[in-house]
Amino acid sequence: MVGMDAKFTLIFAILFTAVAGGHCLAADKPDGAARAKEILDRVDDMWRGKSSHAVLTMKVATANYTRAMSLEGWSKGKDMSLVRVTSPLKEKGTATLKSGSTIYTYLPKTDKTIRLTSGMMSGSWMGSHLTNDDLVKESRMTEDFDSVVTFEGKRDGAYVMDFTLTPKPDAAVVWGKITMTLNVEGDDYLPVTEVFYDEDMKPSRTIVFKDIKIFSGRRLPAIMRVTPQDKPGEFTELVYESLNLDVDIDDSFFSISRLRRD
Amino acid sequence: MLFLLSWRNLARRKRRAFITALTVALGVFLSVTFTALGDYSYTNMINTSAKMGFGHVTVEAEGYNVSPALDKRIGGVSDILKLIRGADGVESAVSRITGQAMFSTASRSVGGVFMAIDPKVETQSTTAFLGAISGGEMFNDVKGRGAVLGVKLMEKLNLKKGGKFVYTTTGATGDLVSESARVTGVFKTGVEEVDGSFAILPIGRLQGALGYTDDEATMVVTFIKDHRNAEGARAVLQSALSGRKLEVLTWSQTQADLAGHVAVDQAVNYIYQFLMGVMIAAGILNTVMMGVLERWREFGVMVAVGFKPSRLSLMVIIESLWLGIMGLILGVIVTAPWYVYMSRTGIDLSGYMQEGADVSGILVDPVLKFRLYKESVVGILAGVFALTALAGLYPAWKAGRTNPVDTLKNL
Repeated sequence: MVGMDAKFTLIFAILFTAVAGGHCLAADKPDGAARAKEILDRVDDMWRGKSSHAVLTMKVATANYTRAMSLEGWSKGKDMSLVRVTSPLKEKGTATLKSGSTIYTYLPKTDKTIRLTSGMMSGSWMGSHLTNDDLVKESRMTEDFDSVVTFEGKRDGAYVMDFTLTPKPDAAVVWGKITMTLNVEGDDYLPVTEVFYDEDMKPSRTIVFKDIKIFSGRRLPAIMRVTPQDKPGEFTELVYESLNLDVDIDDSFFSISRLRRD
Repeated sequence: MLFLLSWRNLARRKRRAFITALTVALGVFLSVTFTALGDYSYTNMINTSAKMGFGHVTVEAEGYNVSPALDKRIGGVSDILKLIRGADGVESAVSRITGQAMFSTASRSVGGVFMAIDPKVETQSTTAFLGAISGGEMFNDVKGRGAVLGVKLMEKLNLKKGGKFVYTTTGATGDLVSESARVTGVFKTGVEEVDGSFAILPIGRLQGALGYTDDEATMVVTFIKDHRNAEGARAVLQSALSGRKLEVLTWSQTQADLAGHVAVDQAVNYIYQFLMGVMIAAGILNTVMMGVLERWREFGVMVAVGFKPSRLSLMVIIESLWLGIMGLILGVIVTAPWYVYMSRTGIDLSGYMQEGADVSGILVDPVLKFRLYKESVVGILAGVFALTALAGLYPAWKAGRTNPVDTLKNL
């Protein structure tokens, strides 16, 4: 779905790519909702490739440490992605494979592949502010929200659209709502911010998109910064160095045996 | 005749006999105290443990106990329940799904354990969590989205009553599945690890989420009247369920940590009591031996006038047994009010204990109370008689070797 995931993914790319499709629904929705769906689907389409290959850097700043690592990743559709650490040396080869709703991690030092259990889903992904659960849930969230356009017009000299996504009553999502702002530039809808709210409607996590670049002929933000609201000063930033969409990758690429191969 | 003679012999040294009997009484008192404390606390812990998940006897899929996973499930649960509920000694049986899950809100994600139950069939005698609810209430829709969480888990997740959270677990086919739930109640057992990681969920909702049918669960737990009969009940259920790919396990197998603790504690208790018994036996031996030595000439005369040495030995042993009986009577008189008080009221040590003290996740009852199993009573009685009889053996042997000529010559 959604824009939101889309972008999230998108940047995040490779990974959990997939920008899932279809956001909320249906023809019987009021105009606002139908229009929101149409635009967000378009954003999805813009981001989505049938497959992708990306090289990116992830910077993580916490109260206790700051680190950066280089990643290379591949994705196909919503459900298949593979990300491998290429530096620093001591973590080189560490890889994460997402296949459907299952995540495997390969640790080269011990030559072990671990299938993450539900109890491990709350763990941090590669030391970042994203959890393993974020990666699995990402493509599912598109099915869990209803969205409406809450603002459209000029703001600070730019033409923007604000969307509010509210979870469906029985959706298995933790957010009270999500707000998203897009910059509309010609035919391009470029995400600017996403704010995730808790059940009390207090901001819990913010994602800021910036540094628009052209990847595979499409204008996309090259940087996505995730900021947890309850940890001032901390963030995880993903910086795309290259992103090739619609690359030729076989399904067998996303296998456990490939996970181990450097 | 010998009984009367032995009694009169003891009566000749009333104070000494009384003090010796008092020593035996003290032994009875201490033995009852230690044994009754153990019997009460073991029963309490085992029953509480049973009510926290696995029952006294558990029917589960093969291999689940060694390696619990939600793909290991049992089918035909309603048939199994009907069969178990009709078995002798079974008080109740319920089906449950238990497993690991991640609980998430917008602010936190916490790994924990869930137990999915049918609220309509669970009572306070089958789940300890019902009695531990400190706010709100148990959900009543077996397929609903209600949940009851531990008070510490609520704090970790920054949740309030009525708040929404998402749980993620591994389904029957190995895929991760997620469901949302709202808190209807909160429980507080006092055990940090339980209150901080445990959630009660509706079994119907879990069956749907995990890909189970309505007749599948991870286990059927059985409650029996007396946990000491668990092995017998296990054998009965095993036989009744033969032919199915199931394991029938007692609480000591599913709660091996607790069973190990009880076994070690019992062994230490028995060693203490044995050492105490040896000291009391030494006291009796001393008294009887003194009685024998100071009557050396008297024994010589008795043998000289035709009293058989074997009867002399028997007389001394009977003297020991009299001391044992007197000690036992005195012990009962001293111990009875203590036992009645301790079994009814007990001693509340909560002011001296750290809150939430537990053994293998089972809250230790801060009120010391007594309970004596029948076999414990028989054991104490048999122990006292055995000790007094044993203590009289050497003096009896000594008395039986009385040589009248030597004895009278040395006068």
